[in-house]
Amino acid sequence: MTGSGGTALKNDPAADARPGPAPPPALDIRDLRKQYGELEAIRSVSLAVADGEFVSLLGPSGCGKSTLLMIAAGLSRASGGSVTIGGTAVTGPRRDTGVVFQAPVLLPWRSVLDNVLLPIEFQGLPRATYEPRARDLLRMARIDAFADALPHQLSGGMKQRAAICRALVHEPKLLLMDEPFSALDAITRDEMGVELLRLWQAFRKTVVFVTHSIREAAFLSDRVLVMGRRPATIVEEVAIDLPRPRQIAMTEDEAFNRHVRRLRRAIEENHG
Amino acid sequence: MAEPSRNASTVAWPIAVTAGLLAGWEVIVRALGVRPIILPAPSEIVRVMIARHDVLLDNLWPSLTLTVLGFLLSVAGGIAVALLITYSRAFRLGFYPIIVVSQVVPKVSIAPLFIVWFGTGLVSNLMLAILVAFFPMTINAVMGFTSTDGDIHKMARAFMGSPAQIFWKIRLPNALPHIFAGMKISITLAIIGVIVSEFVASQEGIGYLIKLSSGLLDTPLMMAAITVLSLAGLALYGLIALAERRAVYWQPPADVGAGGG
Ligand SMILES: Nc1ncnc2c1ncn2[C@@H]1O[C@H](COP(=O)(O)OP(=O)(O)O)[C@@H](O)[C@H]1O
Ligand SMILES: [Mg+2]
Repeated sequence: MTGSGGTALKNDPAADARPGPAPPPALDIRDLRKQYGELEAIRSVSLAVADGEFVSLLGPSGCGKSTLLMIAAGLSRASGGSVTIGGTAVTGPRRDTGVVFQAPVLLPWRSVLDNVLLPIEFQGLPRATYEPRARDLLRMARIDAFADALPHQLSGGMKQRAAICRALVHEPKLLLMDEPFSALDAITRDEMGVELLRLWQAFRKTVVFVTHSIREAAFLSDRVLVMGRRPATIVEEVAIDLPRPRQIAMTEDEAFNRHVRRLRRAIEENHG
Repeated sequence: MAEPSRNASTVAWPIAVTAGLLAGWEVIVRALGVRPIILPAPSEIVRVMIARHDVLLDNLWPSLTLTVLGFLLSVAGGIAVALLITYSRAFRLGFYPIIVVSQVVPKVSIAPLFIVWFGTGLVSNLMLAILVAFFPMTINAVMGFTSTDGDIHKMARAFMGSPAQIFWKIRLPNALPHIFAGMKISITLAIIGVIVSEFVASQEGIGYLIKLSSGLLDTPLMMAAITVLSLAGLALYGLIALAERRAVYWQPPADVGAGGG
């Protein structure tokens, strides 16, 4: 029912070629539980995400997706089970993860560039070394023209691009994204998906992407994990074997829609 | 295209209205032959301001010094107490309700008590200025330090900001608009505190001069003193608004804030 370490690696083409023992998963969650007082938010979730993999957690609002992601980000404590990133236990926020929230949460008094460099300042890393990287990221996200602008001069989509740059600036291995595009309009949202995949293809980070949009999950991911209703468990795992790079036009194809139907059925069976 | 004319009119229109009111005042006083002891014409007030600038300035400086000193101490104290309230749960639970409730107490009514405690003099006057200016400063600063939304703190922790970094890079800049709103209220109240205490007991200051000229039935001097006081208050307020515009460059100046006095 839930992905073990073994199934997680099946989508990693490099895994077969590597000699010796397999490296630890980028993210490994075992028997995770979370209790908010009386409320049982997560009952038992186990999943593993391989290095470089793009995995979505799909489920309707309130099913515990953010809870799971915040625990992986070290921002919230689990009530039981274990979470490891690259083989070491998560005890709090860490340098090798980057987080993107639903809202961009940029600091309004800082320029876009200075917002992107905030993790560098917080972590005491040399600005001179990372500023070129920050500018590269802004260029790749196509907002380099706004490097010196204040956030209020940016559109919603541009703000979220800046937030993604901020999450990548300190070169994390794992990118955790909590419904990053759900506040955007549908057209911007599709564009952002394509842009995110472009960045992902360039950097080959591991991405865990939380969403309640079936189409978004199917379009972006290597693998989609469907979460059941609270208390959360993972009820379905769907490998998305569509070719990459992916284009919006692919969402018209039968192959894409077959995945969408399968995901929709999984959600209806468990939430209807 | 509509923008520039709108901007021009937002400046020109109030000036025109003010000039019109002053002109109307002048005309009515002259036409009806109102005696200066009842209501001097604006031109008469200006004449007295020039003729008696020495006595006006001599009394302005003590009031101004006390006001600025009381204001600065209120700002420093208000921010310090706001930090205690923000970072100490025990302090917040114990003192914040008192501070909020004290907002409704008309604090200038305590002036006579201060004379009993501190005598008639500068200390008394300064204490009253601080008493009225301190609380709105504190409340606004608390609002500033505590108004960062949870998402910002979550973001800051996710990127490994330390508590000190979160204070300097997030809480403090976030509080600046509120701190300036508090300062604008405090400077106005500090002036009121000083003038009232000079009414009650003082041998100098604009408040003393107003009371003295009232006793002498020298209404033109009294009006000149009130005008000087108003201009000084405007200048102080303007300085703060100017500093605000430079410090809070990322948003238009806020006219919001908890007041009272
Ligand atoms: N800090 C919290 N305290 C209490 N209950 C919470 C808290 N955060 C989330 N919950 C509850 O846990 C459940 C899962 O929430 P969440 O993880 O935010 O779901 P999702 O992100 O899938 O919409 C919901 O019922 C929510 O009300
Ligand atoms: Mg959520």
